[in-house]
Amino acid sequence: MTQSLKDKLVIILLAAVIAAFSITFIAIEEQVEIFALLVFAAALVLGGAKLGITASIAQSLARNERLMNFAFIAATIAVVFWFREDHFPLLMIATVLLYVIACCGLNIQFGFTGVVNFAGAAFFGVGCYTAAVLGDTSVPLLLVILLGGIIAAIVGSVLIIPVLRTRGHYAAVVTIAFGLLFRTFLEVNDTLGGPQGLGVSGMNLFGWDFNNNIEISENLEISFYMNYVVLALIMVVLTFVLMRRIERSWIGLNFDAVRLDETAAACFGINIKRWKIVAFTLGNFLAGTAGALYAMMLGFIAPSNFAFSDSLILVSIVLLGGMGSLWGTILAAGLVVLLPEKLQVIQEYRFLIYAVVMILILLFRPQGILPRGLRAYIPGWRG
Amino acid sequence: MDVGLLGQFVVNGMMLGMMYALVAVGFTLFFGVLDVIKFSHGDVLMVGTFAGFSTYLGMTAIGIDNAFIQLIGVLVISIGSMAILGAVIARYLVLPLKSAPPLNTLLVTLMLGTVLREAIRLFYPDGSNPKHFPALLPTDSWSLGSFTLRSDSVILLVGGLLVIVGVNMLINRTRLGLAIRAVAQDEETAKCMGINFKMIVLLTFALGSGVAAFAGVMNGLYYNEINFGMGLLLGVIGFSAAIVGGLGNIYGAILGGFLFAGLQTLGAVALPFASAYKDVFAFAVVIAIIAWRPTGLIAEKTSERV
Amino acid sequence: MNILRKSTVSAIALTMALTVGAGIADAKDKVKVAFIGPLTGGVSAIGVGGRNSAELAVQLRNADPDAKYEYELVAMDSECKPNVGVQVATKVAADRSIIGLVGHYCSAVAMGAVDIYHKFNLPMSVWGAVLPDVTYGNDYKEIHRVNGTMINQNDVAAKFMAEQGYKTWVIIHDTTDYGKGHNKYFSEYLTQNGGEILADFGVPADQQDFTAELTKAKQLNPDVIYFGGLVPLGVRVRSQMEKLGISAQFQGVSGIKSDAFIEGVGTELSEGVVSFLEGAPVDKLPGGQYFTEKYKAAGFAEDEEAYGPFAFAAMSLILDGIEEVGPNRKKLTKYLGDIQGHDSIVGKISFDDHGQNTVAAITKYVVQDGKWVVWEDSEYATGARKLAGK
Repeated sequence: MTQSLKDKLVIILLAAVIAAFSITFIAIEEQVEIFALLVFAAALVLGGAKLGITASIAQSLARNERLMNFAFIAATIAVVFWFREDHFPLLMIATVLLYVIACCGLNIQFGFTGVVNFAGAAFFGVGCYTAAVLGDTSVPLLLVILLGGIIAAIVGSVLIIPVLRTRGHYAAVVTIAFGLLFRTFLEVNDTLGGPQGLGVSGMNLFGWDFNNNIEISENLEISFYMNYVVLALIMVVLTFVLMRRIERSWIGLNFDAVRLDETAAACFGINIKRWKIVAFTLGNFLAGTAGALYAMMLGFIAPSNFAFSDSLILVSIVLLGGMGSLWGTILAAGLVVLLPEKLQVIQEYRFLIYAVVMILILLFRPQGILPRGLRAYIPGWRG
Repeated sequence: MDVGLLGQFVVNGMMLGMMYALVAVGFTLFFGVLDVIKFSHGDVLMVGTFAGFSTYLGMTAIGIDNAFIQLIGVLVISIGSMAILGAVIARYLVLPLKSAPPLNTLLVTLMLGTVLREAIRLFYPDGSNPKHFPALLPTDSWSLGSFTLRSDSVILLVGGLLVIVGVNMLINRTRLGLAIRAVAQDEETAKCMGINFKMIVLLTFALGSGVAAFAGVMNGLYYNEINFGMGLLLGVIGFSAAIVGGLGNIYGAILGGFLFAGLQTLGAVALPFASAYKDVFAFAVVIAIIAWRPTGLIAEKTSERV
Repeated sequence: MNILRKSTVSAIALTMALTVGAGIADAKDKVKVAFIGPLTGGVSAIGVGGRNSAELAVQLRNADPDAKYEYELVAMDSECKPNVGVQVATKVAADRSIIGLVGHYCSAVAMGAVDIYHKFNLPMSVWGAVLPDVTYGNDYKEIHRVNGTMINQNDVAAKFMAEQGYKTWVIIHDTTDYGKGHNKYFSEYLTQNGGEILADFGVPADQQDFTAELTKAKQLNPDVIYFGGLVPLGVRVRSQMEKLGISAQFQGVSGIKSDAFIEGVGTELSEGVVSFLEGAPVDKLPGGQYFTEKYKAAGFAEDEEAYGPFAFAAMSLILDGIEEVGPNRKKLTKYLGDIQGHDSIVGKISFDDHGQNTVAAITKYVVQDGKWVVWEDSEYATGARKLAGK
């Protein structure tokens, strides 16, 4: 068997395994089975790493990027298709996808450029509220999603001056203060629904109502959440392409330079302020678009959706996945969104367990699950 | 506005400011020695308050009902146990991450805060309900027109002031303080001079957490009501106060604490249409101050390390 | 692997069922019903009381040999937060094996969730939320409510307080729909009864420090401080009134009629606090004695609290419906829509065209020696004790 054929087989097999694993994980309800599955997966990954299989799989992946991307999209579609009639799993999948988009925004900000943002949920929230306010007007809803991002970016521009002037913990407190301010503002402001929240009308594309189940035949009624999953998936793919393009272009190089050493970057003539503004604005834009669709899907939003703890969840996804690592973000978003949901039976304890797991991961694998590799200028080349 | 009312607002603001300042002092101490933010600080405060509350219940159960002795017991147990907790956190969560990115430390301690909060909610008997914290201080009050001053408020204010002065003396006048300042300035050199770095870090964390426990008990005595979520906002406000004042500087923390309380009170008084906007107002001013003075009102003296 | 194990298990189960088949020939079909309420957080005492009462209704039905189905209760926690409530509502509504729901103490949560029940055609009855808009703000035929609304409550409250001779009020309410609703209806009825409102303060539901608002209130020197909100906030407002030396009467709403309130402020400060609740007290309900006995016998660790009987009645009603029309959401919705004069422990249930039960009686409560006592039975009514400022 030639090397390239072997690589292709490995990738397809991996995608199939991941799809099967995701389906099982989402479908099972018994707590014991969930734990068993998690332990099994952990053992598989750790064992693989010990035997060096992980490394060789990673090389196969690196050599065939295009195939890998398509294989994983196919795997996602397979998972989605499996749950075509079940509302709740689809809702969870769509939530994961939208979190991935928002976290990609954060990745541009502090994964690439090193601009911290502890108000991710606030910008996500700006998108949500944009959708809630514009949803009833005659503005086309696809445009509303874009507008959600644009308005999030505009709101974020208020913070540009303090963010540019500060660094480290001082910058963190600027965004933390903004996050709290945003939520308190929503709570006391009556025109936007106050603490009560707002209803949001659903997505409607050229007369296609996203909130109706799709009746194929008498026995097959596809859940209306499928509409949102498909749209979210398209958005994820677009975001992904955008992220990869940025990462591999001179823009990404500039971002990295700003993050790694501002002084050195400035010495080489890189305009630090410009790239920080670009990264911050672009990141908020992505969070806003994700928020807009999220609001349409849920149909109801309230200020408590956008608390400081929700911003932390976004940050923890990015850190857990590995700063700046796209595949890591996807994996981490899946874990962070699904795990508390799957541990419903131990309901009251789920936040406790989640927090403990996060601490353990940060202590023992501080670089994240799938850390971003060094830049590979020639894919597959080992130097 | 009449003088009595003004006086009332000033006293309210000072109480708030004292609590914020006590929390901010902890943040500043931790940042000073280790350049880290320990975000579980607010929740350590909350656990300290519950420890004090349990002590009170325990003492009542075994028949000690002298309020003064109870108060001493509550303070000793609360401060002592939180000092130990603070040191344990430093030893097992903060020090191991010393070389990791600062964001990781921040996140680990945030998660620890969640663990503490959830643990009290789930494992403390009936922990999800608010608890009635006893009034252990004399409650005589003096009224002058619309101005009411209660003796317990005065005692709490004086107590808080003493603690802050005490911490300041400890940092500036003792050998331990000298060691803490040495570590804060330059860890390597401090080690060369024979200072036990680890020991100093642990002691600093114990000190900061003990002060937080004091602030928690003070909070309980003042509001007479404690709940598992009380630490979260206090922690965030304390952090903001420390930042606005300038990290690593005790005077900055005190200034920041009182400034934030002043802004909140001012917001409540001066925004007649909606006093509910007071927090929005306070946080907006905080952001503006940081934009104006990027390293806090009392800036760090050290120059930028390249 | 999983499928393999599952089929093994079911094979074993099947064999066992066959061997002892004769013994359990009348095995019943399983039907799931759900309960949603605040099981954690500041008002969890009331939520857990409601959950226990709903659980009791299910237990009693399962013990009944005449019941056609075996019921399983799925209890979910809304945390009294609209966003969490909407999530669990989606989870319950999307689960097709759940036929009916008894849900919501917090009006703010109920307001967000009703759209979802309509979308998924899940018939439900509210057991504690009192905001009128939950039933009257929509035309959803799935939504019903066995308890009363805050309109009647505030009507009685305003009249009663005016009769006691109070003239001036300061209102503090939380800014959720619940607090705002109370503010609106109470102000309306108070003005009709000749009371004067000096100021009203809307505060976020998680605020800790009220000294700024209360200092302003103190300057206005009202006879009564009216508080429209739930237990945690009520505890703080009452405690901090004392700090500032405000001696006005504290008047609460149904949201603080819970033992957690008394525990939170302490016996001394809670003395003389008044509150109003729709429905008669448990021991005066038609089936009150039966309910109390059964509740005690079931051995729950927590009290049933103010709204337990309503949760029990709502769950019993839904179980009656499933017995009658079978486990089908649409049929159950229709059944509930036609309910008139249905017997329950809280009296006859009759739904109007918005699904609202008509509960006329409002009971007045006052705290006496650390307990909620019906006003007429208290020493305050006889004149042995006096409310603040009287």
